[in-house]
Amino acid sequence: MLEQAFEALKTYDYGMDRHVLDPIDQAAVSTRNDPAARKDLESRLLAVLQSNAQRDARDYVCRQLRTTGTATSVPALETLLADPDLSHMARYALERIPASQAGQALERQLPKLNGQLKVGVISSLGARGQGVGLLRPLLQNPDEAVARAAAIALGRIASADACKALDSAKPRPALAAVFADASMSCAEKLLASGQAKEAKAIYQRLLRSNPPKLIRAAAERGLTDQTPG
Amino acid sequence: MDEKKSFPSPLKTTRREFIKAAGLASTALALPTFIPASALGRDGAVAPSERIVVGGIGLGNQGGSDFGGFLGREDVQYVAVCDVRKKVRDRTKAQVDQHYKSKDCAAYNDFRDLLAREDIDAVHVATPDHWHALIVTEACRRGKDVFCQKPETLTLREGPLMVEYARRYDRVVSGGSQRVLEDYRGTVNMVWGGKLGRVLSINVQTNNLSHACNLPAEPVPEGFDWETWLGPAPWAPFNSKRCDGNFSTVENSWRSYSDYSGGEITDWGAHHFGGATFAVDVRELQPQEVLYHPPEGGQKAHLEFVYPNGIRITHCKPGKSNLEVDSNENETVPAKPVPGYKGKGGIIGDFLYCVRSREKPFRDLQLAVNTMSLCHLGTIAYRLQRSLKWDTAKLTFPGDAEANRFIDRARRQPWQL
Repeated sequence: MLEQAFEALKTYDYGMDRHVLDPIDQAAVSTRNDPAARKDLESRLLAVLQSNAQRDARDYVCRQLRTTGTATSVPALETLLADPDLSHMARYALERIPASQAGQALERQLPKLNGQLKVGVISSLGARGQGVGLLRPLLQNPDEAVARAAAIALGRIASADACKALDSAKPRPALAAVFADASMSCAEKLLASGQAKEAKAIYQRLLRSNPPKLIRAAAERGLTDQTPG
Repeated sequence: MDEKKSFPSPLKTTRREFIKAAGLASTALALPTFIPASALGRDGAVAPSERIVVGGIGLGNQGGSDFGGFLGREDVQYVAVCDVRKKVRDRTKAQVDQHYKSKDCAAYNDFRDLLAREDIDAVHVATPDHWHALIVTEACRRGKDVFCQKPETLTLREGPLMVEYARRYDRVVSGGSQRVLEDYRGTVNMVWGGKLGRVLSINVQTNNLSHACNLPAEPVPEGFDWETWLGPAPWAPFNSKRCDGNFSTVENSWRSYSDYSGGEITDWGAHHFGGATFAVDVRELQPQEVLYHPPEGGQKAHLEFVYPNGIRITHCKPGKSNLEVDSNENETVPAKPVPGYKGKGGIIGDFLYCVRSREKPFRDLQLAVNTMSLCHLGTIAYRLQRSLKWDTAKLTFPGDAEANRFIDRARRQPWQL
């Protein structure tokens, strides 16, 4: 059954019966406690990913690797980050593979990409909570979408370095609200981790910047939340 | 500063003064070219300047129903519609214009254009599930209150982020299940009235999870922005059955397909788990463990959600019906008042009341997210075919790298949460 499924996967395309791949779905579950079988499953999936199979087949492989992929899959997935058709699905796997190599692949490719593909990798780095050193200079990127994505990602990461990066950034007017939002995300995380003084500094900086009413109110609430009693 | 005192009573002030105090920018509303008595607040009508200004995003099957609910309210001024299908935009704009006898309703393809309007106070959202988190967070960031249809989330990671935005910007955000309060009253009243003694467990019945979709490509219809319909979901060719908004969770509707929805466990689970958590009063909690019971004796697998206070919610337990309660009737439990909607007109009325009063609505987003946690935890347990532990503070599966992969999924560029 599994053999037939992998044979079908080689020519899998939109419009084919999705159930022909059910044995692979089942193998993904049944091989959980069998390292050798899981390794074999992964290598067979990678063989399809690296072949000239249709987009749909490779899309399916990326979905499987999201839940079963290891460091072994990273090199093949990394090569797809620059592919306009498959970049997202490569990230679909890389964003969720716990191995550090997955995050390193995203970091390696980030400087080589532009436009929306770059935005996608930025968002995946934010989701993984890494890459602050690479994201920081992107806050001033001439591509507004890239700068925006970097701010959002840093707000998600909200580490001490991410907070500092946002603190010292000078956003263009069109992105001021997004940067402020990311800063407030940082402040909330700092407050939750007991760093009230650092959180307060962020809110006070935002208030000094003469922000719109909505952000002013949010920053004032953030300060109020820290006030005892 | 006492935050409640900073808001003047909505009963003693005009809407403009109230909303200004709430920190929202407001611009002059476009008025019809003639001014009927109702527009001036005569004959018992609410003057336009006192109405809550509303826009709708996603106006298909359920969205169309919500649209009618908001448009028909005298305390609402409906000003904008948004849908990626031109025929839906045209139809709903025409209905709004007909209602107000004007041509003032704006029609948008891109929800960001609608949310950028400073005159809009609140939006109702009924897009497919994969869009909910992005739209709700952006709406909050833009200062809008939100009525979001269920299922409010597609992944476990989305809910906490949505709540973060709602609280950061002090927005009223209501989930959309009217059934939580309205459908399960009998059970709720019995339990809250102390008539069943100490509750031990309650069961929920739903059927299938969603699944992959591999339908063939079809030409994209004229006026259908397929790229935006997909949004953060993986690219796939257009097929009318892939994006059909009918209520099936089995096949030939977006509710059936895992890129857009969780299937019946989320689509009906949002209602039934919502009702169950309300009935046994664990709405404000999430379970700390999911016990997976494999198939046995011809019966399907079923689940048991374990709450910190000992109460259990089962899913598809053999021999149990939907919302069936197990309790120790020999233990006396004091009766307590059952919370309900504020305002008039069901869950929409409750939301609109809270837009004015700035209270949390009956189906506050956090409560909806807590309900959705059951749906998503259950889905992961079924897919992995095993039990799970859930850290309700960190919102992760402790020490469980395999399960943690399922907490979220990468969004298609340029969409980012």
